[in-house]
Amino acid sequence: MNTGLDLELSFNNLLQGFGISSEISHILWLPLPMLLVLSSALIGVLVTVWLERKVSAAAQQRIGPEYAGALGVLQPMADGLKLLVKEDVIPAKADGLLFTLGPILVLIPVILSWLIVPFGQNLLISNVGIGIFLWIALSSIQPIGLLMSGYASNNKYSLLGGLRAAAQSISYEIPLALSVLAVVMMSNSLSTIDIVNQQNSFGFLSWNIWRQPVGFVIFWICALAECERLPFDLPEAEEELVAGYQTEYAGMKFALFYLGSYINLVLSALLVSVLYLGGWGFPFPVEWIANLLGQNVDTPLVQVFTGSIGIVMTIIKTYLLVFLAILLRWTTPRVRIDQLLDLGWKFLLPISLVNLLFTAALKLAFPIAFGG
Amino acid sequence: MTGFFRQVADYTQNAISAGKYLLQGLAVTFDHMGRRPITVQYPYEKLIPSERYRGRIHYEFDKCIACEVCVRVCPINLPVVDWVMNKETKKKELRNYSIDFGVCIFCGNCVEYCPTNCLSMTEEYELASFDRHSLNFDNVALGRLPTSVTTDPSVKPLRELGYLPQGIMDPHEVPNKDPRAGKLPAEVLDWMKQESSKEGEIASISNTKEEVN
Amino acid sequence: MNIASSTEQICFLILGSVVILGALGVVLLKNIVYSAFLLGGVFMGVAGLYLLLNASFVAAAQVLVYVGAVNVLILFAIMLVNKKEELKQIKGLRTRKVLSGLVCTGLLFLLLRVDLTTNWNLPGPSAIGELSTERIGEHLFTDYLLPFEVASVLLLMAMIGAIVLARRDVLNTDIATGDSVDQNLIEKSNDPILLEQSSN
Ligand code: SF4
Ligand code: SF4
Repeated sequence: MNTGLDLELSFNNLLQGFGISSEISHILWLPLPMLLVLSSALIGVLVTVWLERKVSAAAQQRIGPEYAGALGVLQPMADGLKLLVKEDVIPAKADGLLFTLGPILVLIPVILSWLIVPFGQNLLISNVGIGIFLWIALSSIQPIGLLMSGYASNNKYSLLGGLRAAAQSISYEIPLALSVLAVVMMSNSLSTIDIVNQQNSFGFLSWNIWRQPVGFVIFWICALAECERLPFDLPEAEEELVAGYQTEYAGMKFALFYLGSYINLVLSALLVSVLYLGGWGFPFPVEWIANLLGQNVDTPLVQVFTGSIGIVMTIIKTYLLVFLAILLRWTTPRVRIDQLLDLGWKFLLPISLVNLLFTAALKLAFPIAFGG
Repeated sequence: MTGFFRQVADYTQNAISAGKYLLQGLAVTFDHMGRRPITVQYPYEKLIPSERYRGRIHYEFDKCIACEVCVRVCPINLPVVDWVMNKETKKKELRNYSIDFGVCIFCGNCVEYCPTNCLSMTEEYELASFDRHSLNFDNVALGRLPTSVTTDPSVKPLRELGYLPQGIMDPHEVPNKDPRAGKLPAEVLDWMKQESSKEGEIASISNTKEEVN
Repeated sequence: MNIASSTEQICFLILGSVVILGALGVVLLKNIVYSAFLLGGVFMGVAGLYLLLNASFVAAAQVLVYVGAVNVLILFAIMLVNKKEELKQIKGLRTRKVLSGLVCTGLLFLLLRVDLTTNWNLPGPSAIGELSTERIGEHLFTDYLLPFEVASVLLLMAMIGAIVLARRDVLNTDIATGDSVDQNLIEKSNDPILLEQSSN
C-alpha cells in the first residue's frame, strides 16, 4: 500500500533544513491543520450557501443572487458581514449565560468532527482509531446546545423548537449509528482511512453503495434529519414555531447557528461520500491509470497528481450530495412530528437492524466480497 | 401467519411506492431547474404592459364637460368634479378634477362611459409613494403622460410571453421589430371576414358575434 | 519535564477542577436546569480524563452515552415537567442533612483510604492505544459475555416496561382475572368505536 503524500513529514523536513529542532517544528505544524480545517469548513459553507441560493432559485425558475460578485458568489460573504455587524441582542428576561453558551455548544462539536474527514491517504487532521465513532459521539452533544438555547431564550417557541431538535437528533442517531456499524463491520475498522481504502480496490464497482444500498439510504435520511434539513426541519418549522430555537437570536449568535447547520450539512455529505461513495477514490483506480500511462505510482509527480485528484473527487462527491439535499428540500413537504418519530423508530430502526444482521450474515457467507 | 406476511408485503410495497413518488418529485424539481427563469430584473428591466393594460388614468382637462357621468358610473363615486355654474353663459365651469388612486380600483368604468373621451387608461403602474395623500391626483397630475417603458433609456423593455415571436421563450435578446406570434386582433377580424365571405354567410358572423358578446 | 508531559499535567489539572467544581455545582445550585447542564459538563470532563488516559474509545462512549443520552434525557424530563411547585418544609430536614452528610463523608474516607493504600506504581500491561477498541470488543464477547448479556436482558426488560407504560390500552383488562378495568385513562383504546362505525 502506498502512503501517498505526507505533508507533515515534508514540512518537518523543510523546517529542519533551516536548523530548527524537530520538537519545535512539530509544535509549529500543530496549528496548521486546524487552521486549514477551519478555513476549509468555512469555505465549504460559503460555497454551500451560494449553491443553496442558486439551486433553489433555479428550481423555482428564478435567477438568485446576481449582483454581489460574478453570479452572486460574494452573496454569502455579504450575508456573513451583515450578521457580523448586526446588534447582538440578548432578550431582557433571557438567561444570558446559557443564551450565549448554546450556539457555541452547537458549533464546536460540528467543527471538531472535521478532524476525521479524510481528503486523501494522509490528508486528514488525525487518523484516530475510533474515527467515525468520534463523529457519532460528538454529534450527540449538539442536542444539549439546542436544549440550552431553547431554554435560555425564555420563549415558548424556542423551548418547543429545542425539545423537538433534541428528540429528533436522539431518535435518528440510532439508525444512523447502526448503518455506520454495518459499514464498519465490512471494513473491520472504525478509521475513516481504512473504510475508504477498503472500498477502492476496483474503482467505483467496489464502493460501499453497491454492498450497502439500504444502509446508504438510511444513512442519508438520518443525516438529513440530524442536519434539520427539509423534510425534517421541524425544529425551525416557520409556520408553527416562528424559527424554533433560533427565534430570539440575532447577529453573530444567529450566525453561529447558521454556520453550524451548514457545516453539519457539508460534513454529512462528506461522510456519506467517505462511507458509501469511496471517499477520495477516483471511479477507476489510479494505479491502473498510472500503469496504463507507464508511470510509477511512487514518483512524486504522480503522487501530487493523485493527491489533488483525491481532493477534487471528495469535493465533487460531496457537492453532488449537497445538491441532492437542496433538490430534496424543494421536493418534499415537511413531515409532522409524529410522522417523523414514526419514521425513525418504526421504519428506519428495524430496517437498519435487519440490514446489520444481513450484513453480518453476508460477511460470514462471502468473506471475500464483504470484508473477511 | 400468512396475514403477517401479507402485512409485511403490503408495507414493503408502500415503502417502495413512496420511494418511487419521491423520485418522481425529484425529477420534476430537477426538470424545473432547466427552465427559463421568469425573473424580470425590475427596475433595470420592465415588462411592456399589454395594449389594454388598465393603469393610472389620464385625464384631459380641456375636453371635460363636467357632466359627472364618471362619478355616477364609478363603483365608489370616486372622481371629484369641482365645477361652478356660470350664471351669464349658463354653462358649467370646471375648476378642478381629481381622482384618488389610493382608492381607485382601476375598473375602467369612468373611462368607458366618459362622453367626451377625456379619460383614458395609461400603462403606468408605479404609483408607490411615501404618503397616501399624494396618491390623490389633481387635474394637472392626471394630465401628465407616463414615460413609456419602450422609450425610457434607463430601462430595458421586455415583451411578455404572449407577445414574443413564435418559438422564442426568452424576451431578452428579441429585436424590437420582430413580429409577435399569432395575429393581432385586427388581423383576426380581417381573417374572419375573409372566411365568411368565402362561405357567403354573412349572417353567421353576426351570430357568432352575438355569441361572443 | 518535556512539553508533552507538562501539557498532560495542565490538562489533568483543568479537567480535574472542571469535574470537581461541576459536581459541586450540580449538588449545590438552586436552579435545577443549571444543575443538569453542569452534569453534562462533568460528564464531558470525565470523558476528557479518559482521553488523557489514552482510552479514546471509552471517552467517545462516555460522551455518546452519558452526554448524548443520559444527560439529554434528564434535561428533557426537567423541561417537560417544568411545573412551579411550592416546596414544603420537610420534617426533620436537619437530621436528614446530617445523615446524608455522614454517609457521604464515609464514602469519601473509604475512597481516600483506597487511594492512599493502593500501590499505583504497578507495572500494568503496556498501553495499547488504538488497539483498545478491538480489545474491548474481544473481552465483551469472551470473558465478560455473561455480564454483557445480563445487562442487555436488563435493558430489554426496561424497554418492554416502557412500552407497556406508554401503550396504556394494553392494560385495559386485568391481567390476573381478565375482567376489563376502568383505569380512568386519558387515552382509551379506540378500536371498538372505529369498528362499529365501519361495519355500519
Ligand atoms: S377606474 Fe373605476 S374606481 Fe377608478 S375612478 Fe374610474 S370608475 Fe372609479
Ligand atoms: S365623464 Fe368625462 S366629461 Fe364627464 S365629468 Fe367625467 S371626465 Fe368630465
